Amino acid sequence: MIRCSLLAASVLCIGGCMEVEQVSNAQKQAGQTVRRDTNPWSNEPLANGPKWSKGDRTSWEEQIKKRQLAQHEHRRIYE
Amino acid sequence: MARMKFLCDAERCIECNGCVTACKNENEVPWGVNRRRVVTINDGVIGAEKSISVACMHCSDAPCMAVCPVDCFYKTADGVVLHDKDLCIGCGYCFYACPFGAPQFPQAGAFGLRGKMDKCTFCAGGPEEDKSEAEFKKYGRNRLAEGKLPACAEMCSTKALLGGDGDVIADIYRERVARRGSKGAEAWGWGSAYGQPPKGAAPAAPAGGKS
Amino acid sequence: MHTLSRMTGWLVLTFAFALPVGAQQTPAQKDLAKDQQQRTVNQPGNNSEVWRDVRSGQPNNTTVPGRETGVLVQAQARFPGQENMTTAGEAWRKFRNGPVTFYGGWLVILMCAIIGAIYYTRGPIKLHDKPTGRVIDRFSLAERWAHWVMGISFCVLSVSGLIILFGKHVLLPVLGYTLFAWLTALGKNLHNFVAPLFIVSLLVFIVMYLKDNLPEKGDATWLANGWKFFYGVHLSSGRFNAGEKVWFWVGVVVLCLIVSVSGLILLFPNFDQLRSTMQQASVVHAIAAILVIGFAIGHIYMGTIGVEGAYGNMRDGVTDETWAKEHHDMWYDDVKSGGAGVTTAAKSGAAPQTLH
Repeated sequence: MIRCSLLAASVLCIGGCMEVEQVSNAQKQAGQTVRRDTNPWSNEPLANGPKWSKGDRTSWEEQIKKRQLAQHEHRRIYE
Repeated sequence: MARMKFLCDAERCIECNGCVTACKNENEVPWGVNRRRVVTINDGVIGAEKSISVACMHCSDAPCMAVCPVDCFYKTADGVVLHDKDLCIGCGYCFYACPFGAPQFPQAGAFGLRGKMDKCTFCAGGPEEDKSEAEFKKYGRNRLAEGKLPACAEMCSTKALLGGDGDVIADIYRERVARRGSKGAEAWGWGSAYGQPPKGAAPAAPAGGKS
Repeated sequence: MHTLSRMTGWLVLTFAFALPVGAQQTPAQKDLAKDQQQRTVNQPGNNSEVWRDVRSGQPNNTTVPGRETGVLVQAQARFPGQENMTTAGEAWRKFRNGPVTFYGGWLVILMCAIIGAIYYTRGPIKLHDKPTGRVIDRFSLAERWAHWVMGISFCVLSVSGLIILFGKHVLLPVLGYTLFAWLTALGKNLHNFVAPLFIVSLLVFIVMYLKDNLPEKGDATWLANGWKFFYGVHLSSGRFNAGEKVWFWVGVVVLCLIVSVSGLILLFPNFDQLRSTMQQASVVHAIAAILVIGFAIGHIYMGTIGVEGAYGNMRDGVTDETWAKEHHDMWYDDVKSGGAGVTTAAKSGAAPQTLH
C-alpha cells in the first residue's frame, strides 16, 4: 500500500514537470519562498534625490515616468 | 503599472561605449564581467554601419528563468528579471538559453568552472535588503529604489539607449521616428524580448523587425 | 572548438535525433554591407540588411572581450518536433523543458514500475538446488574494482543529474529554495568532479569485459526466450548471457560513451565551444543519460534483489558451483574442463571459502 502510494506520488510529481507561468514577484511570493525582494517604492526617497511618498506605487511610477522624459531630446528641459 | 524595458536606437548609437563604462562603474562589476556591450554591424562601412547596445532585455517570457534548475530567477512587479546569487549554482543553462547573451560567469576555478551568474539588473539590485551593502556587493546599485533609472540609459550621450517604462519609451521612440520621417526604423529586440505587442501600442515596427 | 562541434554533430547523427536544424545560410556579410550601403542611398532609414545580418547570428564587432560577444542575438534554430524556427536558446529551452523532461521523466517512472511489478509478481529468482559450498572464481579483483568504481560513480552522476533535470519539479516544492539550491550545488560539483573518474573507469571496464561479451552461438536463442528467465527457466549461456551482453554493448559501450563525450563538451566550457554546441551536447547528454539510467535500474535490480547470489558474486568475486551451473552452464563447463575462453583461472582445488 505504501509502495503503491509512493508510486502514485511520483507519477503526480512527474505530471508537474511543466513550465510554470512567469508571474511577477508580487504574485509569486505568498510568504513561503526566499524571494524576499522589496518593491522599489517601499524605500524612503533619498534626501537630495527624486521624491515620492514612501510605499505609494503610483507616485513612484509618476516620478519615474517624468524622469524618463529626460531621455527625450525634444523635451530637454527636465520637468 | 509600469513595465520596465530597454530600447536602443540604432540610428543614434555612436558606439562610444559610455553605457558599458557607466554600468561597470555604477555597479562595480567584477573583472571579466560586462553586463552591457555594444555591437557594431558593418564596422567601417560608410552608410551601412549601425551599432546596438545590448544587455539583459528583461524578457516577458524569460528563457533563463524557464531553464534554471534551481529556479533562482524572479520577476519584480515592474517586469524586471532578477536572480538570487545565493541560489545560483553556476550551471550555465541561462547562458545557453538567453537570446541576447546577457548572463555572464566569472571563472570560479580551474577548467572554466563557472562562478555565480551575473547579469544586468536594470539597476534594481537583488533580493537582499534594498540599498544595503550586501546587495551592492552582489548585484550592484539599486537605482530604482532611489527613484532613478538605469545608469546606462540615463548617461547615454546621444539618447540612443532608452530605459524605463515601456509605454513612455514607445511614445518617445514613436515621436522620434515620426520626426525623422524615415521608414523601417526598428525597435530592435522587442519581438524576442517582449513578444508581439498589442496593436496600436507598438512603436513603428515594420515587417523586417522580428528580431 | 571545430573538432568539438564536429564531434557533437557526429554524435547526434549516430543517435539519429536531437539535431536542430540550423538557420539557412545567409549571404556573405560583405554582400549585406554592400546592399545596405545601396539601400541607405535609395531608401534612407531602411536598415533591413543590417537586421538580416543581426538575425543570422554571425559575430560582428565589439570591444567587449569574451565568447560570442559580437553576436547580438542567437541564430535561429529548430530542434526535432518543433514547427517554427526561433532563436537557438529558445528552441533549446522548449526542447529541454518539453519532450526531454516529460518523456524522460515518464521513462524513469515506467522503468521503476516495471521492475516493481516483476518483483511483486514473480519475486526474486532463487537457486533450484542447494549450494554445494564449493566456490569458483567469477570476477578477478581488478574486474571488481573496475565494476564498482564505475557503478558507484555512475550512481552519483545519475542522482545529481536527475536532480538537475527533475529536482525543480519534484524536490524543490518539498525542500524549499535554500536547501534545494544547496543540494543542487553539491550535486553539480560532485557531477563535475566524479565525471572524469567515471570516464576512466568506463574505459577500463570496457577493455576488461569486452572479450567475454562478444556474441556467441546461443545468444539469439537466449534473446528470443530470455523472458522465461522470470519463470525459472534457465537458458544455457556462457560467462555472460545475451541479456547481459545487450546491457554491455548498448548501455555501457554506446550510451555511456555518448554520455561521456557530450559530458566532456559541457564539462570544459573554457575551450570556446559555441552556445549552439553546448545546447546540442546538453540534450544529447540528457537523452542518452536517461536511457542508460533506465537500463541501469534494471541491471541494479537483477544484480541485487532480483537474482539470489548475484550481488555476492560481484562483491566477493567467487560464486557457488550450483549458481554457476544454473545460470551460466557453458561457462561452468569451460571452467571445469579448464577450457579456452575462460578469463578467470579456475581454482576449484583452492581452499574452501565460505559464501557470504
